Amino acid sequence: MVKDYIETIDLEKSFGGLQAIDKFTLRVKKGEIFGLLGPNAAGKTTLIKILCSLLMPTGGAAYVLGKRVPDRHIAPLIGYMPQELALYTNVSVHENVEFYGAIFGLSKDQILKRERELLRLIDLEAHTKAIVHNLSGGMQRRVSLACALLHEPPLLFLDEPTVGVDPQLRMSFWDYFEGLKDGGTTILITTHYMDEARRCDRVGFMHAGKLIAEGSPHELLDLTHTDSLEDAFLILSREERG
Amino acid sequence: MNVGRPVAVVKRVVADLNVARGERMNIGRVVAVVKRVFADLNHDKRTVGLIVIVPLLFMLAFGFAFQGDVRDVRVLVVNDDNGGGLGNASISDRVIANLDTATLTVDSATNESAAVAEVQNGKAYAVIVFPTNLTETVYGTAAQPPLAAQANPPGIIAINPQAKVSIRVLADKSNTEVSRAIITAVNAAVLKTADENGQSQRLSVDTTGAIYGLNARFIDFFCPGIVCLAIWNLTTLLTLQAFVGEREIGTLQRLFASPLRESELVAGYSIAYGTLGVMQAGLLLAVGVLLFNVIIVGNIILAFATIALLAIVSQALGILLSSVAHSQREAGEFMPFLMLSAVLLSGIIWPIEAIPVWLRPASYLIPTTYAVEAVRSVMMRGWGLSMIWVDIVALLVFAITFLVLAVIMLKKRE
Repeated sequence: MVKDYIETIDLEKSFGGLQAIDKFTLRVKKGEIFGLLGPNAAGKTTLIKILCSLLMPTGGAAYVLGKRVPDRHIAPLIGYMPQELALYTNVSVHENVEFYGAIFGLSKDQILKRERELLRLIDLEAHTKAIVHNLSGGMQRRVSLACALLHEPPLLFLDEPTVGVDPQLRMSFWDYFEGLKDGGTTILITTHYMDEARRCDRVGFMHAGKLIAEGSPHELLDLTHTDSLEDAFLILSREERG
Repeated sequence: MNVGRPVAVVKRVVADLNVARGERMNIGRVVAVVKRVFADLNHDKRTVGLIVIVPLLFMLAFGFAFQGDVRDVRVLVVNDDNGGGLGNASISDRVIANLDTATLTVDSATNESAAVAEVQNGKAYAVIVFPTNLTETVYGTAAQPPLAAQANPPGIIAINPQAKVSIRVLADKSNTEVSRAIITAVNAAVLKTADENGQSQRLSVDTTGAIYGLNARFIDFFCPGIVCLAIWNLTTLLTLQAFVGEREIGTLQRLFASPLRESELVAGYSIAYGTLGVMQAGLLLAVGVLLFNVIIVGNIILAFATIALLAIVSQALGILLSSVAHSQREAGEFMPFLMLSAVLLSGIIWPIEAIPVWLRPASYLIPTTYAVEAVRSVMMRGWGLSMIWVDIVALLVFAITFLVLAVIMLKKRE
């Protein structure tokens, strides 16, 4: 029985001379929501891509669901929402859902059932037949999230899932994520919103490819004697820069 | 004349000029645009290379490929001419000696049916048949050859001034340019011979027969080529753009993180684009048949199957090329190369026999060469799988190679 759904040990990734991930060690337990915070180019997306077997590490090791990545066997067990839209924009919402459902081996009935549930969650029930490129940016992001959740994977990688989504809907997303967590789903999520970070079980601050701090939001606030995660991050990244 | 009116006109013109002056071009802004375009190019060496290389390539390719005459076409001679007792001085030998050996590679055949069979098997392009009574008819009589055996007897007196005789050319007219070159070469040889002997009114060339492509026109020759060209260009470009689009928008990343295997993705694309290719081909052939009365002698299903195979080769190439194209613009830059290689080197308009010998190996590196040859053979010659299997095998080799490389390329992780 795998306890740590994600484990990285001194993980490294470089692109040419650029060190995108630097000696990164992390453990995410089953049923946790782990938030990755950091500025642009901190390495959050690169880390997620390595964990999803999309990039090869250049050093160290990473394990997902007990398997050393890259490993295609974990693919059916993970849900991935990339930062890019990752939808077919010339077809309808339903056709996208249908396609990704089929890729994950869902039956027609299962797809229709999940489509109803998820479109209700993302508040797009009335837009099933809408062509994706006719939807607003925020609506498109919501469809993208729905496609990642379709097959009810035990482990979710969500790369900035709430960008462009209005605050009210963001909150309902988080209610849903917490519901998933209660059902045993593990979520690794990147975000720029500190209010979202506060709802994570644990948070990791990333800076220049390194994990500069990790812990529960309360632990990080206590550590830096601040009352906002944003300030906590700024203090810790200043310390990191020396 | 009311002076007020012309003044009003002048005032309006001046007012126009003032407006124009207010809206005139600002040279500084124009220069800024020019500078930006060049700054962009400065960071895009690939496009700069394209600007230089493509026109050069066009010039060289058109120069080399289109200036050549048809060369090295194998024809078979069936010489039944008994020579009228003149031995080496027979008319048939003289005509054969006068054939342009740059255009034609002349071999002998023992009899007409064997020679025709060789053409039917695609091993030669034409049979030239010299009738038994050729020399005796031209010279008047076999029994009394005039000043027999003189090498070039001028002023031979014809005993039967009405007698005429024809050399028959049975050509494979499915390739109109090649058959035209053969007929031209035979006519030239006959004219030269007749001129040497002063017997031009007795000797003619009968080109009405054909082993394949009787009554074929250029459009019949061109149609299979243009269908293959359309499939090749559009399928490659569409797949290339589709894959570049998938990369840009992130769907490929999402798919690679899913249970979908790279081979399944490529197989799906192959089936979809193979089907599209067949539909495109159906539309083009329907226009060809209904509007231009294009000849289809053979099995249309076989022609479609070959075109579907070409579509699969093309889409696999599109996926392969997508690994080196990072944007839709870069994808479009492949278009001239795809178009040029197929149009010039694969026998679509210009027969391969007219391409300089040193350039011909390049033709056989292009999949369209095999597809055009196979589809044309099916449509115009009525050939079946047993005759076009070499082309089909070549296309299969291209398809398998490109598909395997496409899967390997997709599996590659940074």
